[in-house]
Amino acid sequence: MSLPGDFLVLCRDRLGIEEVSDEGPMVPREQLVAFATALKDELDFRFFVTVVSVHYPEVEAVPADEEKGTEAVPGKPDCTQVCYRVRRLPNAERKTVVVPFRVYVPTGETTPSLAGVWVGADWQEREQYDLVGTVFADHPDLRRIMMPEDWVGHPLRRDYAIETAHFPWR
Amino acid sequence: MAVDESQERFEHPLYQFMEKMPGVDIGLTTADRILTWGVSNSLWVFPMATSCCGIEFMAAACGRFDMDRIGTIARGTPRQCDVMVIAGTITVKMAPRVKKLWDQMPEPKWAIAMGSCAISGDFYRNIYSVVPGVDTFMPVDVYVPGCPPNPDHLLMGFRRLQEKIRAKRAGEWVEPDSRPPMGMQSPSVPRYGSDRDPVWDEAQLQSVIGMDKGGAMHREGLTLPEPPAPPEPPAPPEPETDAEQEAE
Amino acid sequence: MSYEVSESVEEGVQLVTVGGVTVPLGLTQAPWPDPHMDIDSYDPDADLMALNMGPQHPSTHGVLRVKLFLDGEVCVKAVPYLGYLHRGVEKLCEKLTYAQLTPIVDKNDYVSPMMNELAINMAIEKLIGAEVPPRAQYIRTICAEIQRVASHLLWLGTFGLDMGGAIGGGASIFMHTFREREMILDLFEELTGCRFHYNTHTPGGNRHDIPAGWDAKVRHVMDHISQRVEEYEDFVRDNPVFRARTVGVGVVDPLLAIELGISGPILRASGVDHDLRRDDPYMAYGDIELSVPVQTAGDCMARYLVRLAEMKESMRIATTLLDGVPEGPICSLKPVKLPGAVKAKEGSTYCAIESPRGELGTYIVANTERREHAHPYRCKLRPPSMHALQLLPYLAPGNNISDIIVVLGSLDPIMGEVDR
Repeated sequence: MSLPGDFLVLCRDRLGIEEVSDEGPMVPREQLVAFATALKDELDFRFFVTVVSVHYPEVEAVPADEEKGTEAVPGKPDCTQVCYRVRRLPNAERKTVVVPFRVYVPTGETTPSLAGVWVGADWQEREQYDLVGTVFADHPDLRRIMMPEDWVGHPLRRDYAIETAHFPWR
Repeated sequence: MAVDESQERFEHPLYQFMEKMPGVDIGLTTADRILTWGVSNSLWVFPMATSCCGIEFMAAACGRFDMDRIGTIARGTPRQCDVMVIAGTITVKMAPRVKKLWDQMPEPKWAIAMGSCAISGDFYRNIYSVVPGVDTFMPVDVYVPGCPPNPDHLLMGFRRLQEKIRAKRAGEWVEPDSRPPMGMQSPSVPRYGSDRDPVWDEAQLQSVIGMDKGGAMHREGLTLPEPPAPPEPPAPPEPETDAEQEAE
Repeated sequence: MSYEVSESVEEGVQLVTVGGVTVPLGLTQAPWPDPHMDIDSYDPDADLMALNMGPQHPSTHGVLRVKLFLDGEVCVKAVPYLGYLHRGVEKLCEKLTYAQLTPIVDKNDYVSPMMNELAINMAIEKLIGAEVPPRAQYIRTICAEIQRVASHLLWLGTFGLDMGGAIGGGASIFMHTFREREMILDLFEELTGCRFHYNTHTPGGNRHDIPAGWDAKVRHVMDHISQRVEEYEDFVRDNPVFRARTVGVGVVDPLLAIELGISGPILRASGVDHDLRRDDPYMAYGDIELSVPVQTAGDCMARYLVRLAEMKESMRIATTLLDGVPEGPICSLKPVKLPGAVKAKEGSTYCAIESPRGELGTYIVANTERREHAHPYRCKLRPPSMHALQLLPYLAPGNNISDIIVVLGSLDPIMGEVDR
């Protein structure tokens, strides 16, 4: 699905991004709330669709090997990519469309919460905190929603084994 | 230390009195049979319906597969129920509540594990937040396998429970139910090796792929038996030779 | 934001346009109650009671726990607790291959499994770039519409149970609707072999083709159910007890609903005309005319009327589509025999459909590692019921407990998809 023109104009003006990929512009964390507020107020993207946190574990750097002739592959740190999607409801002049935008969060740092912009982000961000471990700063009530309150670990991280034992059930 | 033999056999004070009454043995066993009839035919059920099996439980309670004809009514509180039907996946968060509700049910009580999630955790059994089967923390009397089981099968499970109740109350030995056997694991093919370098069991793989050709029999090299030949059509009636001869 | 007040088709209902979307004026009620309100800041003289509507309760929505703070009989704050059915489906999806996802995701919204299958398979097809042949598109659409009828029938039955209780009279409508639902489940059993959890959609198309004589049966069943739905309307719509319990109860602010991400019958009952089947058509919905029922009252009665009208519309769509099912293959990819048959090398998609509860979306990220192309890297299912449940802390304050139960019933949450 192609992204609408006014969204691309907003990306260019606010973020300085000329080419926007299908996965959405990578928004710097400092500008996230301002960008989201502009999306909601100026472009009428009021329908909050979803927020997804994807965990990318650390990838070790591979040094260049002169014998084999391979080049050095830089390592990637442990990080989370938070992908938002919001929708604009249709009316007589326009059709409905979903636009994505992303935030890059290194593990250990926080990202601003969009619960103040869209109320629907409240529980969805809580769920992503619970399952993946992204901490949303300024969230009104950040606590676990799916797992029991005293659970240790974030299940949907890639380094969390699916069969993790939890006393006394296994 | 000598054993105090006077305490060896306990006798209820009324026993001496009742032993002498005529017909008391028949009377008491008949009363017991009437009570058994009452208990087994009015099993009020407490539906612990967490997920999809709960919908089939509701379908079993409705007009087509009527649960009320065996005397079963779903009640909302465990204090009034005899049977707890655990229908659905039990998670780690939910399990203490299930145990608490089971403890709140008054004796005599029975449990039916409905659906493979309650029996063994289904395909969720290795997941961090799922309890692999409800019999890990509470006793289960009848297992009703299926995902979800047909409401007919749930009623069969109730029937089995009724038989067990009657047999037990009549004093017979009742074999405790164990989890139903998993049987053939097809169509999932057992893999050896790791997730990254799987080694397939070629024979089993071919038997699964060739299921339309008979599946496991195809693997063994067996063939289906020839169907029986159709019966011969009845012979046509003999022509009337006398009439022809007369005509000639 | 522009405010343009206009008159709507219904008498006396004024419309206001906010953010390009037209909503009824009387429903917008900012400021919204604060769900995170500190309970100690409520009147210190009031004698508050915390009541736990525990994870197990006789209503049939599944395992939802709501902690209600009551001032007398009136609720002051409601805090829902989820996760009692969290089965780790998203984590399990990462371990399985694309071809194996359908029966797992089937069990999310266990009342309308065809919708889950449709959502996941449409997302996988968008990711791998597979085309679905027209015959499969028609079969999928017909199944989705029949499933919508079955889901709304179940909702109507459990709504009656919520209001009346099993012995108190709610069970009548429950028994009636389940009788009709059994007829639909028989149709599906003939098509796929299962009453439930069909596993009939596959990446690239369907696995089961329409058997001979099926369309005549569908027409017969839809005809029969249409007549029965008329009976239900007479049963319920003019029933003074039903009206007293649903009219004016649980009025949903459409702007709040839009921000929360709620779509489906709840949004349409609050006056917002949005339906993904018409606005963003997928599968065979582009070939038919769809009329979307919209009510402006926003209360439980409006949600009931919308769902009933949707039922009738779905029956009409199913019978219309049956006339024009094109011939051809039902799957564009070869039938899947090995789990690793469907591979995606890169990319991510979001794909949304209109389920009976709202916008059911699937977000899949493909695994770029060389040996893991057949497994998704992250698979997130966007449950419409979870967004609808977020309404409960906003709707509960000011209501009695019995009204809260009715409101919860009319929001139609399915905990299997809320918790996954």
